[in-house]
Amino acid sequence: MVEETKKEFRRRDLFYLWPMWLLSIILPDPLPHRKKEFKKRDLCYLAALLLFPLVWSDPHLHHLMVLAGINAILALGLSLFLGYAGQISLGHAAFFGIGAYSTAILTTRYAFPSFVAFGASAVAAAIMAYFIGKPILKLKGYFLAVATLGFGEIFLVIVREMRSLTNGVIGIFGIPWFTFAGFSFDTYLKQYYLIWGVLAGLLLFSKNLVRSKMGRAFLAVAASEDAAASIGICVAQIKLGVFVLGAAFSGFAGSLFASIMSTASPDAFGLNLSVLVVMMVILGGMGNLYGPIAGAIFLTWLTDMLGRFQEYSLPIYGVILILLLIFFPDGMGTRLGMRFVYLISYWPKKKRRDEGRL
Amino acid sequence: MTPWTNIPQFLSSGITMGAIYALVGLGFVTISRASQIINFTQGEFVMLGGVITFSLLKGGLPYPLAILISIVFVIIIGFLLQVLVIHPLRKTSVLILIMATLGASLFLSSTSGLVFGTLPKALPPFSGEQPLQILGVLLSPQSIWVLGVTFLLLIALYLLSHRTLLGKAMEASSTDPLGADLSGISRNFMVFLAFGVSAGIGAIAGIFVAPIFYTSYNVGTLLGLKGFIAAVLGGWGKNSGAILGGFALGIIESLSVAFIPSGYKDAIAFVVLLLILYLRPKGILGSPFIDSRRW
Repeated sequence: MVEETKKEFRRRDLFYLWPMWLLSIILPDPLPHRKKEFKKRDLCYLAALLLFPLVWSDPHLHHLMVLAGINAILALGLSLFLGYAGQISLGHAAFFGIGAYSTAILTTRYAFPSFVAFGASAVAAAIMAYFIGKPILKLKGYFLAVATLGFGEIFLVIVREMRSLTNGVIGIFGIPWFTFAGFSFDTYLKQYYLIWGVLAGLLLFSKNLVRSKMGRAFLAVAASEDAAASIGICVAQIKLGVFVLGAAFSGFAGSLFASIMSTASPDAFGLNLSVLVVMMVILGGMGNLYGPIAGAIFLTWLTDMLGRFQEYSLPIYGVILILLLIFFPDGMGTRLGMRFVYLISYWPKKKRRDEGRL
Repeated sequence: MTPWTNIPQFLSSGITMGAIYALVGLGFVTISRASQIINFTQGEFVMLGGVITFSLLKGGLPYPLAILISIVFVIIIGFLLQVLVIHPLRKTSVLILIMATLGASLFLSSTSGLVFGTLPKALPPFSGEQPLQILGVLLSPQSIWVLGVTFLLLIALYLLSHRTLLGKAMEASSTDPLGADLSGISRNFMVFLAFGVSAGIGAIAGIFVAPIFYTSYNVGTLLGLKGFIAAVLGGWGKNSGAILGGFALGIIESLSVAFIPSGYKDAIAFVVLLLILYLRPKGILGSPFIDSRRW
């Protein structure tokens, strides 16, 4: 069998060159050994985040970034589960839905203040995840994926059928804006700062988490469960913990989604959303916290742009999905970054190879 | 009227439905026997079989010819799927393969909606609509066609995998990839063939079912998932397991209608899935893959 030489320069790398240069500005540094503790980069991201809506004052763009932020919160939670702990979940949309419906029911029916509902949604999603995760997290691979997918479908059926509570397929309307201490987030600009503020908080939390003992345990579980168990990590507990955490993130995202869109209907929480979120994590790169956010922005923009093709959007979306998976199976940032490194190290290597020294 | 009086009728419709799940499950098993891939596009093959036959019939072709052409067409789609999607991704992780087949499923269903229209379609029954009465239970002749074809396909697959060298080579390339390589089996070709066979099974299932249940561009995903559940329930990786699981799932589902609101019917299969994965992941008949792989 011929060993496949991955590090070889290929002609199509030339075509990667210019988008790579563009993306290398936007995307985080993919090489983990070059990661520094702080964080000049973080300040740049933060400044860009704060200034972005002021520079581009297009309301549609603001709304898009709000949606991207919500997706990014979802993807961040999933990235802990998928990217760090290495477990597959295709049911994340269900936790998102649980968050959204908790907020919808608490605010419209019982007139709770929205920040209380915000917390309660995350708690509801986390409790649900605890009881779901306890039995199914012993599964692996395909079977875990299908079990979580099945949970998502059960959630959808229950939402459609419990008409007295969830209003069936029509959904719940008139959820009030997110309000905190008398300040109502009623414009796209305010919502933008709200969402990305929440996201920044959760990102900070996750960054600290993955450097903690528990975060290291995630990586150990992903690498090898037997090895992790042999050094005294309780694998089942770690998996359950990260699943519950991801669900809580989704609960936050769902709550924000409900109060910003002011509706909650079952169509929004189907398999397509779960697939989209997993794609965000894959494209962002596994085991990377900035990646899912970049992936969320990219895919939200992509789906919005494809909306212009109306009935052709779904076939095109399917094809793009497959192409992205074929060309970037381990994340756009990673692959592009690696290619970039190989590319700039290619010419000297070739010279040496020609001289017979390599 | 108590729910008990309708039990025989529910049983008969459950058996028909079960035969469909069994056929879809057989498709999953065929691919997993050759490559340990789980192909979530299986349900779309079923949908395409029915929808393409409907369009060909509308175009004025005779029934048998339309069936034949649509089966060949779906098999070609299966081959294309393997060549264009699965083959480039053969060395990646499970997650990527799941996402790619889900993407392909999305593409196929939405394209079929575009090309063949989004209205639900029903094929004419193969042999009249006069229902047969067997032991006081009404059974449509189409159900007997479905049961018959399920039985025939089971025998054909048994012969393929136990009596031919090709079938043995397919199974070898899944259970022992290195051994298969060493004995000169082209694993890529085996996976390629398995996709064709499973697409063919899916298309046949779709065509035989379409006279009983309406077929439409969006039925594929759910049907595929239920077929997968059937295969897991019976015993993952066994043809007989897929058949048994299919009938069991169909009967459970249609009996459940007697006792709970019919809107919850779609959730039953997934509840069954979660229960079987929790209590007995090998399935009813046991699975050749699950013990060895430590999933």
